[in-house]
Amino acid sequence: MHLPPELVLRVLIWGTLILASLVCGLILVGAGIQYRRDRQNRYRIARFQSWEKDLAVYLFSGTGASRPFPPIAREDRSLFQTFLARYHATLAGQEAEALKDLYLGLGVHKSIPHRLKHRLATVRAQAAQEVGIFRLSEYLESVVPLLNDPVPYVAHLAAQSLARAGDLRFARPVLDWVLREEKYQRERLLRVLEGFGPELLPWLETTLEAPVVDPESWILFALLAGSHRHRESEPRLLELIDTSVVDIQASALKALAALADPLTYPRVEPLARHEAWPIRAQAAKALGLIGGPDAIPTLIALTSDQVYEVRRNAAQGLADLGHAGTSALTWLTEDPTADRFARDIARERLEWTDERGHQ
Amino acid sequence: MSRVWPENTRVLVVEDDQATARLIQARLEMEGLQVFVAHNGVDGLEILHREAIDLITTDLMMPAMNGFRLVQEIRDLPPPKGRVPILLISSNQNEQDMVRCLAAGADDYMTKPISAQVLVERLWRMHQRASSGG
Repeated sequence: MHLPPELVLRVLIWGTLILASLVCGLILVGAGIQYRRDRQNRYRIARFQSWEKDLAVYLFSGTGASRPFPPIAREDRSLFQTFLARYHATLAGQEAEALKDLYLGLGVHKSIPHRLKHRLATVRAQAAQEVGIFRLSEYLESVVPLLNDPVPYVAHLAAQSLARAGDLRFARPVLDWVLREEKYQRERLLRVLEGFGPELLPWLETTLEAPVVDPESWILFALLAGSHRHRESEPRLLELIDTSVVDIQASALKALAALADPLTYPRVEPLARHEAWPIRAQAAKALGLIGGPDAIPTLIALTSDQVYEVRRNAAQGLADLGHAGTSALTWLTEDPTADRFARDIARERLEWTDERGHQ
Repeated sequence: MSRVWPENTRVLVVEDDQATARLIQARLEMEGLQVFVAHNGVDGLEILHREAIDLITTDLMMPAMNGFRLVQEIRDLPPPKGRVPILLISSNQNEQDMVRCLAAGADDYMTKPISAQVLVERLWRMHQRASSGG
């Protein structure tokens, strides 16, 4: 088929014009969006700066009903909620209560039950977060279904809010949610459970099934006991180091190290010779924190272990023992007959402690 | 409780979160204190070199130079700047970090969330101790 040249030219010109107008249109839309965002940002910054001054006056001058705070316009309420949420991790005591009063004064909490069921995940997440941040206990029951939310961060915020309330009625659903999550997120999940406070530990002890039946929960128990430095959990931790589940034993040793009770030394020391390396590694760490000079020969032996993590923890254990342990590390670096691994790890640890400002 | 701060008492607030820094600044200014704000340890150290600071409050986790390093740097300075009382504010309850900071020379510490009332009281105590040569 042969097209007349005039038609081809006309098609090319029109095509170019249409394309050019499309590009121009897109540029204009982009610029419009950017302009709108800039305006919103400028407005947000201006409001935040003004509220910051008002907040300081509200929090720090006068008390109770005498506290002044200018009224918030209806269209600014959402922005104001964001503004208040910035301070939840900073303020405590009477000032945190005053912040809560300010939030309640907005009246937006009344829409929480509706927002918790909203079709948009961001709205559900914000509602769940508000319940936690402003400790709105009357809405906690309504947050529980969000633990099964298909959007992970909504479920996470729901768990965080329930835990932060410290109400053990919600310990079971939150624990079940934690157990459903991926194990590689354990540290992050542990932070959620810490929200319940140390009161969760006696609850776990009385509620959980035997360690061989429910090992993951007992690992969490041990790690929580360590992070709360919960002395009352020590008898149970000593039982857990004798179980047959390596991960439980290692976690219990980690917790005992955090408790740093020298009386547990005779129970921990034999585990430095355990066949499983994660247990030897945790025992090495623990010995540095609960042992005295008696632990030095065991730790020196572990600096030539075949597993790097054990050698590293043994060297750190020696450094943690203080002057006697550091002397042992120095001796290792200078002893030509010492194991090569031991010498290297001792040198590395001494350099590291120098850099970090340890003795 | 009434506190009478000496005239021109200067406090350096080192805090990377600007909203928190401004709130602390507002509270301390209500006490009649002169407040200097830095958002990291490097800037904090620069202000300390420039101004006659009486008290320092610093966050632990900060960019450029963290609170631990800042405490060490200050304590390496000759007196009187090297002896300025330091209150450390940490956002986690990591005991080891706190012990390290106290060992490095911080005079006191607080864990977030904090009560501004308690913060002022602690600064007052630190100032009293420093004034009496304790």
